[in-house]
Amino acid sequence: MSDLAKEKAARLLKKRGSVSSLGSHEVRAFGRKKDSISTLSYMEEPGHHDDIPRPTVQMENTYRLTSVRRFPVITVKDILKDVLTSYLQEEKYEPELCRQMTKTISEVVKARVKDLMIPRYKFIVIISIGQIRDQNIRMGSRCLWDETRDNFSSHTFKNSSLFAAATVYGVYFE
Amino acid sequence: MDEDQSAEETTFVVDEITTVIKEAVESTIGNSSYQHSKISQWMSNIVESSLCQLTKLGKPFKYIVTCIILQKNGAGLHTASSCFWDNTTDGSCTVRWENKTIYCVVSVFGLAI
Repeated sequence: MSDLAKEKAARLLKKRGSVSSLGSHEVRAFGRKKDSISTLSYMEEPGHHDDIPRPTVQMENTYRLTSVRRFPVITVKDILKDVLTSYLQEEKYEPELCRQMTKTISEVVKARVKDLMIPRYKFIVIISIGQIRDQNIRMGSRCLWDETRDNFSSHTFKNSSLFAAATVYGVYFE
Repeated sequence: MDEDQSAEETTFVVDEITTVIKEAVESTIGNSSYQHSKISQWMSNIVESSLCQLTKLGKPFKYIVTCIILQKNGAGLHTASSCFWDNTTDGSCTVRWENKTIYCVVSVFGLAI
């Protein structure tokens, strides 16, 4: 048991170590090195915050024809609206602050969407925060998925010095 | 032999995808300067040709391709993504491309079926 605890501690330390080097353009995920990416995506191990190591659940394909509950677009949009306004209402654009903010907000939104407990759905949360400076920006996406079960929800927020765009994609695991 | 093959088929291979995306971006906006009128067309082209090429890879994945095109004028932009998925089979890849007047950031998320 102590060996397991030691291993977990070593893994956590290694994870923290690699996260702190995120200042350079590199993301390390469980020893699998990715090519240099300049948008910082913070990868968290599932069950990272638990003290008791939970066994990983392997989900198998189901024979159901449709999902039990569909992706709740409006609920998720409300969550996004809520989180963005509460975190960014009074903020001014600052490079360091916004860097941290994007990571924090994406984690918060992910946690809240997870709390909705929609079975067999995988989520992707994308947050972009930018400075307003008379420039033009265009964001677009296309998805190859199942039209009937997969969906997305997005919201944008703007104040005098910054703008934020948040999107959540929900994909059914059949 | 069969097992090895199936393992390769169902994991997200970052390098392959990066090459596909870079090609798509280069072919669409390779030598162009920022032009407001053409932006939506470029955006559709990049995203659709990336998705086309990805489907041609023939892997059992659902893909989400997002693209941000930004005019260069000194403003800052931060992007973060947080994903709740199966770490063993799903993955993402981001490609950043720039020239003198345009920044282009393309992200691909692949979720195993």
